[in-house]
Amino acid sequence: MKSDTRHFFELLFGMTEKELRARYKHTFFGFLWIIVNPLLQMFVIGFIFRLFIKEPIRNYYLYLFPGLLIWNFFSLTLTKATPSIVTERALIKKAKFQRSIIPLSILLSNFVHLFLAFLLLFISVIYMGTLSQYWFLQIILSLTLLFVFTVGMSLLTTSLNVRYRDVNFFVQAALILWFYATPIVYSIAIIPRKLIWLWRINPLTSIVQLLQSAFAEAPLPGKAMLLINSALIILVTCLGIYFFNKESKYFDDWL
Amino acid sequence: MDKDIAVSLTKVTKNYTIHHEKPTLVEHIIVGRYESFFALKDINLKIKKGENVGIIGPNGSGKTTLLKIIAGITSPTQGKVECRGSVVSLIDLEAGFHPELTGEQNIYLNGLLIGLRKKEIAKRIKKIIRFAEIGSFIDTPLYTYSAGMKLRLGFSVAVHADPEILLLDENLSVGDREFREKSFNKIHEFFKSGKTIVMASHYLEIIKKMCSKVYWLEKGRIKAYGEVEDVLRSYQKVSKK
Repeated sequence: MKSDTRHFFELLFGMTEKELRARYKHTFFGFLWIIVNPLLQMFVIGFIFRLFIKEPIRNYYLYLFPGLLIWNFFSLTLTKATPSIVTERALIKKAKFQRSIIPLSILLSNFVHLFLAFLLLFISVIYMGTLSQYWFLQIILSLTLLFVFTVGMSLLTTSLNVRYRDVNFFVQAALILWFYATPIVYSIAIIPRKLIWLWRINPLTSIVQLLQSAFAEAPLPGKAMLLINSALIILVTCLGIYFFNKESKYFDDWL
Repeated sequence: MDKDIAVSLTKVTKNYTIHHEKPTLVEHIIVGRYESFFALKDINLKIKKGENVGIIGPNGSGKTTLLKIIAGITSPTQGKVECRGSVVSLIDLEAGFHPELTGEQNIYLNGLLIGLRKKEIAKRIKKIIRFAEIGSFIDTPLYTYSAGMKLRLGFSVAVHADPEILLLDENLSVGDREFREKSFNKIHEFFKSGKTIVMASHYLEIIKKMCSKVYWLEKGRIKAYGEVEDVLRSYQKVSKK
């Protein structure tokens, strides 16, 4: 059994390495794109949204940046993982191995990117002196929640997409809406109290808020928000693992 | 399961869903249930350790499905599958290669995929490279390889995985004539070395030469089982008609 677990991680890391190596082949800037992309997004969105927002958010660019990093990680992983079993059908037909390695290696390679981008962000935030008191705990909590949630979501969409290819299209559409449903470019403070439940059922809210608070002196997520978000994350992840285990035995039949 | 049994299937049934068009949620909701057909029905089979077993039958009789189930690539709808020891199938040799990675990186990835540990690959990598006759291409990306080189590399990784149970599907032709002979010899070695081998093929000559026991599949059921010559004789009688 122990040898099985070790083989699982060897294969997982091997596939992750493949993802990382293959992505930046034949590019001039290579890994720099991890940071250039969100930086560009930050400047464009920052410039435009400052024209619209009535009550300015303090340290707006710093407020934006961690949210964008989180969002890029989440949406890139989901976009690439959801159809992954279908695109890697040759692997499924070749041998028996833990099928979850395919979406998880995509997730892990993106997580490496997120981590590197965070290091760069962190260094610049130290210079600006906007770090909160409990920044370390906030970052760890936020990234853990994000990691678990993305594992759950991608296992769920990946396994369902094998049978119902509509899921891929649905994810594409949902991600566009989801971006605006998450307080990345705006602050939750502008949401009327009556509608706040909508943000409570979006697990990304607390994840983003924790980081905005850690880096840009924004308020922490409320207790109810954090609790409901976390409960949903656990629920989604359990569902994801359940569905993936149930479906993965029969992936081959649908490819 | 007895100790000398390598593969055991009990009452294995495989039911495939027929999808006429792209499967959609809407179809599932409207139609409710899908059409289905049985690829395998009530298969009971026991293969002893070291036995060389052939599987024959016309197209669509379930040979490939049976191999897939033994390999663990798919699971049966009903019934139990037990395998003792590592299983490697020589199906789709090139699958799992990435064109941007070098030959060596691909050997590791492919080896891991078919169940080898990293240490084991490191120990065997020289043999794998030598057998595949890749030479100095080993540290260039795979997209610079010819089709034959890729096949050879895939074959070499698979046979050097040194599995206890080897699955062969249909006719195996790898690369040019010279390498085909070499790969044939390698498989022959497997047959003689006391490994358990399951081979599905239309080539009765090869089955006759290599296997001792034969299962004859017909429409997903076992029609006959026994010594090679007996089964082949009655099979040939039927197929000549």
